[in-house]
Amino acid sequence: MSYQFDTSYIWGQSDALGAGLLMTLKVSAISILAAVGIGILGAIVRVMQVRGLSAVVAGYVSFIRNTPLLVQIFFIFYGLPSVGIHLSIFNSGVLALVVWGAAYNVENVRGGLLAVPDDLRDAGAALGLKPIQFMLLIAVPLGVRVALPSVLNTSISILKNSAYLQAIGLAELTFVAMERISLEFRTLEMFAAIGIIYLALVLGLSIAVRALEKRLHRPFETA
Amino acid sequence: MQLIVENYILFGNGLAWTFGLAVLTLVFATVISLFVGIMSITRNRLLTVAARIYVEVFRDIPLLVSLFFIYFGAPLIGLPLDPFSAAVVTLSLWGGANGAEIVRGGFNAIPEHQRTSAAALGLKPWQIYWYVIAPQALLPIIPPFTGLFTLLVQSTSLAALIGVPELFRMAQIVVERTTIMEGYSPAFTIFGAILVVYYLISAALNALTSRLERAMQHRLKARGAADMGSVRRQAEESV
Repeated sequence: MSYQFDTSYIWGQSDALGAGLLMTLKVSAISILAAVGIGILGAIVRVMQVRGLSAVVAGYVSFIRNTPLLVQIFFIFYGLPSVGIHLSIFNSGVLALVVWGAAYNVENVRGGLLAVPDDLRDAGAALGLKPIQFMLLIAVPLGVRVALPSVLNTSISILKNSAYLQAIGLAELTFVAMERISLEFRTLEMFAAIGIIYLALVLGLSIAVRALEKRLHRPFETA
Repeated sequence: MQLIVENYILFGNGLAWTFGLAVLTLVFATVISLFVGIMSITRNRLLTVAARIYVEVFRDIPLLVSLFFIYFGAPLIGLPLDPFSAAVVTLSLWGGANGAEIVRGGFNAIPEHQRTSAAALGLKPWQIYWYVIAPQALLPIIPPFTGLFTLLVQSTSLAALIGVPELFRMAQIVVERTTIMEGYSPAFTIFGAILVVYYLISAALNALTSRLERAMQHRLKARGAADMGSVRRQAEESV
């Protein structure tokens, strides 16, 4: 029990931690945006039952959701070069998170699109909208609104799971902390620091999501 | 393909460790889930706040960070853990936090009139919970719970990072060894094959789940219990 917790050590490391945090935020932000975009496209393919493509998307979603992200990351970073695809650590990390997050977002958005009432489809048809026009102009704007909470939850998961990228050596928050620990052995201080940072990020975002959910629900509240 | 056949003993051992890890974790996580989930629906403020803090901490901090923290941090407070124990402890606590949310969702989804009707019939509080609330709340949360199980089985792969010789660690060893000894990297095939193995395990679990779900729906319908779909939806939303 000779371990002495030294708070001042954490402040001394704020530059390294800041750089790590910045990398975490950067890789997460890019991945979240791409995952949402691909998720919406995939959901449209699924809901419109585009021949052939729909089954491919369904298979992709099922495979990604039922295999560990960590193994997917290793497959992309170590496996793809042997078939001639060379990606940097950062790009591999983004690719892995996008492929993972998009699979969840396809399901999230699909749920939202299916919640769009059939009456609207009939009304759209009566106005002469083609199915694709109905989808893009009416179903997507409405459905994405319904799906927003679950899409944002998946986005928060992407932020949390960016920690997995320390395993392939991306210098994000967890990597920075582990590196300092292996050099200076201030284990508890470092974990306390990154624990609090992650907690603040995720808790803050969750509260924002809940507030947004309430705000989106407001037009539908009765008196 | 040849590599997989040549190293079948390694992969077999790895799979055994993965299963061991998964089974222990599932059992502990279930116990913690029920315990903490029930804690969080009591009227005791201290218990609910304690449950809330535990759930938020483990759900919001990346699992990987918790795992490293417990593995590297425990020796510093005089409690050295071997990699396997550290993985079991972390995964159980993480699964327990997520499971507690499911349990809480299940209980919260029971309509208030079930409680008041039971009270009107003269049932004591423990009877209300044991005979009326618990059966209706716990059966519908089994499907989201098995979803959590699938996630836990996948998460056992994280144990490789602290040196548990489970399936994914074995794959890493084979890839590293072949790269050094043979001069080429079999990562694509080996990690690809491992992905397929995990997929098959999850698919088996999912098949089991949907059978269970159908059987349950039958039973609940026969009893005329509260609408299971709504209970389940609420429980799932909490994951």
